[in-house]
Amino acid sequence: ILQCFLSLAVFGRAIHAIARISDEFWFDPVEKGLALRSVNSSRSAYACVFFSSMFFQHYCWTAASQPCQQEQQLPLPCKLIIKSVLPVFRCANVLERNVEKCSISTNPSDHHVTFQLLCRHGVVKTYNLTFQECDPLQAVFAKHMCPNILRVHSRLLADVMIHFPTSQEEITLSVTPMKVCFKSYTEEDTDFSRTMLTEIQLSPEEFDYFQVGVDSEVTFCLKELRGLLAFSEATSVPVSIHFDRCGKPIAFSIEDLLLEASFILATLCEAEKEAFHSLFFGAVSHKEKEAIGDTFQSLVTASDTEEEFGALQSSPVL
Amino acid sequence: MRFRAKIVDLACLNHFSRIINTIAKLAKTCILRLTVCKLYFILSDKVANGGASMWCELSQGNFFDEFQMEGVAAEHNEIYLELVPENLSRALKTSQSAKAVKMKLTNKHSPCLRVAVELPSLSSSSRIVTHDIPVGVIPRRMWNDFREPSVPDFDVSIYLPVLKTMKSVVERMKNLSNFIVIEANLSGEMNLKIETDLVSVTTHFKDLGNPPWASEDGCQSSAQGRDLESMTEACIDIKKLQQLLAGQQVNPTKALCNIVHKRIVHFILLHEEVSLQYFIPAIS
Repeated sequence: ILQCFLSLAVFGRAIHAIARISDEFWFDPVEKGLALRSVNSSRSAYACVFFSSMFFQHYCWTAASQPCQQEQQLPLPCKLIIKSVLPVFRCANVLERNVEKCSISTNPSDHHVTFQLLCRHGVVKTYNLTFQECDPLQAVFAKHMCPNILRVHSRLLADVMIHFPTSQEEITLSVTPMKVCFKSYTEEDTDFSRTMLTEIQLSPEEFDYFQVGVDSEVTFCLKELRGLLAFSEATSVPVSIHFDRCGKPIAFSIEDLLLEASFILATLCEAEKEAFHSLFFGAVSHKEKEAIGDTFQSLVTASDTEEEFGALQSSPVL
Repeated sequence: MRFRAKIVDLACLNHFSRIINTIAKLAKTCILRLTVCKLYFILSDKVANGGASMWCELSQGNFFDEFQMEGVAAEHNEIYLELVPENLSRALKTSQSAKAVKMKLTNKHSPCLRVAVELPSLSSSSRIVTHDIPVGVIPRRMWNDFREPSVPDFDVSIYLPVLKTMKSVVERMKNLSNFIVIEANLSGEMNLKIETDLVSVTTHFKDLGNPPWASEDGCQSSAQGRDLESMTEACIDIKKLQQLLAGQQVNPTKALCNIVHKRIVHFILLHEEVSLQYFIPAIS
């Protein structure tokens, strides 16, 4: 059971950012805070925004009601449809001015998440949204094992992306220790006589932190990233980019005392042509987990929040 | 065949961008003709364009700090390229704070106009944004298709009303009808008319003035014998007119149109450094 009060602008922008990935998201309150997670249908993009309890003006989370012998003890996260949540946070700027407080509360017994906006002039808007119980979702990505790490203010990334048309699907990031280049993605059968190509070259000096362990060229989907860029501009926290060679995922993340957001995108591998590598997630039921077991291990070294991963591991298997 | 050019002055760059934006609104694809002194943006009156055609001319010296061109051959020192002006517009869109913009004709995978924008950055070295715009090289045997259209033998020539006003009138009319009738006389009066089953709307403009056209062979002076009040009209595609007006970002020094009764409307928009002519044929 969750009850919390919060500041809207940032939270609303997080929802909008996640909406770029998928139409539904996992709403996962835990003792330490609230996690929102999403994965796209092809499993090639994953987003997680974790708001620590300190982000909220008031955060109260209590474990589920007394378990009886047949029920599971796990506080399962729930799935919400983004389309029903978006209207609540539609115009972040307008909201800030009109809304004094926003509260989110859950009541698992009647399968509702309630968003209540206390607005000016005594107007109270209440949104009761149904959730579906579902299996947990978590991607595992070993950020600290990536040879290439860049950190830059979101303003710079926004200034770079503005040169690409909004319809641009894929972008290639090419790095050497001497330079960084973002360019339109091209492949062997690109029709050069019809396609306009854009390339932006930056010097390593422009980055707050620049580490290139291995020259690499990774191609990822720009559309899905735009959500994070807009969100990070709202928080003005620098963006960290962790990546490796092509084919391995690339992570864009922001982190401060109150929140952490990670967008993990699959990258294109030339050898496999069209298909993005699908990131393999821990989105399976407990029964399946038993059967699959080792396959997880190949991707697992650390998760984005240690405690939660720990909780997942220790959960009883039916 | 070579082409290299550079713009360093920000005001020239912004002016050039605005011209490209106007062209982009009028044509999906057009011809860029380069000569030693001038640039031309040309749209010929093919059926694909709905019969509309365009001729835009500017002197390179007014915009470029460096301009080097070598045509296909010494006696034909010109280059004709087919391109999508929207691409060029997009390439220049984010160059408002640029230190310099360079353009070059290259042929890496296929012929391209490479636009390199040098932007200020936080570090000692500039940020360089490069756009490769695909172009088609027009062979010399086809150059005749793109000659400057002659001023038609018009019945009435009249100055246009304030473009902003004309634009808002036409935009509202566009919601009601696909066609608009432009009629004008030699007494400085112009009417814009639409007519549908449900409604007809006419906007009247007065005291616009008629430009004096010097005639060598006196054929235009025959107009003096004509009734100054009688209206000459042409019914044209309203969308084409709206695109022309919407694309004007700066008020021209002179704006006028020549109407050939029920045949064609010829618009002439003159700015200090650029002239634009746009022909819209009448719908029969």
